[in-house]
Amino acid sequence: MKNEILLSAFLGFLLLAGCGDSEVQKGPTPYEFPGIFYFPKDLNIPEDNLTTEEGVLLGRYLFYDGRLSGRTHQDSLMSCSSCHLQQNGFDTGFDHPEFTSGRPRGLAGTFTPHYTLPLVNLVYNTNGYFWNGFIEASNPQYGSEAHHVPAEPHFHMKNIESIVWMTIVDPNEINGSIEQTVQVISEIPVYPPMFKDAFGSEEVNIERITKAIAQFVRTIISNNSKYHQYIEGKTVLTESESRGMELFFSEEADCFHCHGGFLMSTYEFFNNAKDSVFTDPFDRFGVTGDIMHTGVYRAPSLINVELTGPYMHDGRFKTLREVVDFYSDGLVISPYTHPLMKYISTNGVQMSEEQKDDLIAFLKTLTDHQLLTDPRYAKPSDLN
Amino acid sequence: MITFKRILALVLGLGILALTSCKDDDTKTSDDLVMLDIHFLHYGEGQPLLFDSLIYVNEAGNKYEVTEIQWFVSDIILTGPDKTTSITQNENIHYIDTNIPETSTWTISEGVPVADYTSLTLTFGLKDEKNTVGKFTDPPEANMIWPFHIGGDNGGYHYMKLNGFWIDVENERQPFNFHLGVGSVEEGGETTFIQNWFEVTLPLSIAQLSKRDTVVLPVVMNVENWFGNPNTWDHDVVGPKIMKNQTAMRMGIENGMTDGFSIGNIEIINHEE
Ligand code: HEC
Ligand code: HEC
Repeated sequence: MKNEILLSAFLGFLLLAGCGDSEVQKGPTPYEFPGIFYFPKDLNIPEDNLTTEEGVLLGRYLFYDGRLSGRTHQDSLMSCSSCHLQQNGFDTGFDHPEFTSGRPRGLAGTFTPHYTLPLVNLVYNTNGYFWNGFIEASNPQYGSEAHHVPAEPHFHMKNIESIVWMTIVDPNEINGSIEQTVQVISEIPVYPPMFKDAFGSEEVNIERITKAIAQFVRTIISNNSKYHQYIEGKTVLTESESRGMELFFSEEADCFHCHGGFLMSTYEFFNNAKDSVFTDPFDRFGVTGDIMHTGVYRAPSLINVELTGPYMHDGRFKTLREVVDFYSDGLVISPYTHPLMKYISTNGVQMSEEQKDDLIAFLKTLTDHQLLTDPRYAKPSDLN
Repeated sequence: MITFKRILALVLGLGILALTSCKDDDTKTSDDLVMLDIHFLHYGEGQPLLFDSLIYVNEAGNKYEVTEIQWFVSDIILTGPDKTTSITQNENIHYIDTNIPETSTWTISEGVPVADYTSLTLTFGLKDEKNTVGKFTDPPEANMIWPFHIGGDNGGYHYMKLNGFWIDVENERQPFNFHLGVGSVEEGGETTFIQNWFEVTLPLSIAQLSKRDTVVLPVVMNVENWFGNPNTWDHDVVGPKIMKNQTAMRMGIENGMTDGFSIGNIEIINHEE
């Protein structure tokens, strides 16, 4: 009896599914993320914004379209690509034509409080975005005074979507208004049909704009550096690079406890012994209120690190040499220093010049040259 | 079309009803299970450990504090006169991280057969076959990665990271990383890997269970015991790092094996009434 019912139930399901299918309209095509065996399986994608081919394409246009600023005058254009350059691993980098110090300015001319973070492999980070991890799925906050985002229920602070509206209204970035952005984008003829393909109708609204851009950003994945090819057995490292790798992945120089794994970051938060006096209101303490989080920041991924300087949240180091010199003999203790900075008593790891060269040689194997020109992430050729 | 769907829905509905009623009859003959919640507690000198507090003194007389403890427990087995129960859930591996409070409880939702139990056996860390390179791709477990050149194919992950500070001979606050995992010894250009995981069996008493009980079973890590008995651990002698120091790791392992773990007060919650 049981079996018969099960069978009829199963057949019923099949039939129902069949009927359903023929009536449903063709929607956007789900985007398939590559299955990279050594990267996390848990992707940071909110349930209400699944990734689709059409959404990603729209997002790519908006990411590169300076009119996202809600203005059309040549001097008032700004979008994500104004600060996040593909050629620099989607960081600002040393050689930005406009932001020559490597620190971006918004349209109102003021500096952003921190230096830029690169936009690669963000879909694998489930531990919070920004240097201080403020943008995080469990953040109950709506809006943000510091970024001039109103405390309304749709302005959550949970994911990449949130960063889009922050960018638009933040006085240190676009310094614009959401209404103006929506207005300008909806009046550009290419967009309404693209919104229709991605979201089912031509309506342009801020939710759709943020969703599309976030979808695109999530697809920026980097695993083609020399180091990753080495992991996959496709290439070999030079002797210097291998020695550098051993320094990196051992307690000798010990970088891997914080920047380890295949993403070159644990995405955990640490005070890495740069200071004994702390003045930045946007450290991890500013988010959690836990005194032990003073001067604490997220360890960034070191993929493309050769291109993502100036280094640290405040850009204090201009070159990789300066960074390595710091870890070698520039450490400063404070009550908040993380114990993984275990060479504090000697002010650092105390590396020889040759060891520093080796470590830097290894860090340079983390550059993903293919990503820097990958057409999937590049500015659409018909967008000017 | 619509009427066809309606009929189908009706058939489906009836089917589900019929199925659930069948199931009700079945429970009488199924194995009697209890729920098991294993709590992993960290103690300092007999009390719940206070993190980031420079209030502890080890056997060697070092004043120290603990910042965080991250470790793997695996192959948990409950044994009694008539029954041996091995957890199968999650490959019998659990990760504990004092920065992630929810990891301190492992709920064995598959249940445990009703029986009397007199001991619990656990493996500290991961046995060779469970410690393969690349086994964990997702955080937080993936962040326990142990370097390949000192761990080999079956030394993929730290067994434990216990980080803190001690006050050294010069009265300076020094970080220490008490990290345990597969050891490596180099001799004549050859590297030999040494498995350092261990099993302990801890006596306990669980009796007179009835089905639907929940057993709350605290497993206590006694932090100070890892730094004494039989081996006195002097941070000033050992220094801040031990991952490539098999002699030191062995000392820590032997201490942990001896009295690093104990069982706390077991609670049985009865849900019958
Ligand atoms: C004016 C320069 C500027 C513009 C324009 C800009 N960003 Fe950023 N972005 C930054 C800076 C600076 C940070 C680091 C902020 C911090 O953590 O304090 C950042 C951080 C981020 C992060 C966090 C990355 C991580 O790993 O945590 C994301 C995501 C991001 N931006 C996406 C965008 C998107 C999408 C846009 C376009 C809507 C955009 N940004 C426009 C400067 C900019
Ligand atoms: C205790 C954890 C920890 C250890 C160990 C550590 N780092 Fe860092 N690292 C961090 C944190 C946190 C930051 C960000 C700090 C900030 O922005 O103020 C950082 C930043 C960096 C940056 C700058 C990245 C950027 O995009 O700005 C580089 C490069 C770097 N680390 C390299 C290394 C190297 C090389 C080693 C080993 C010698 C190492 N780190 C060891 C935690 C650590």
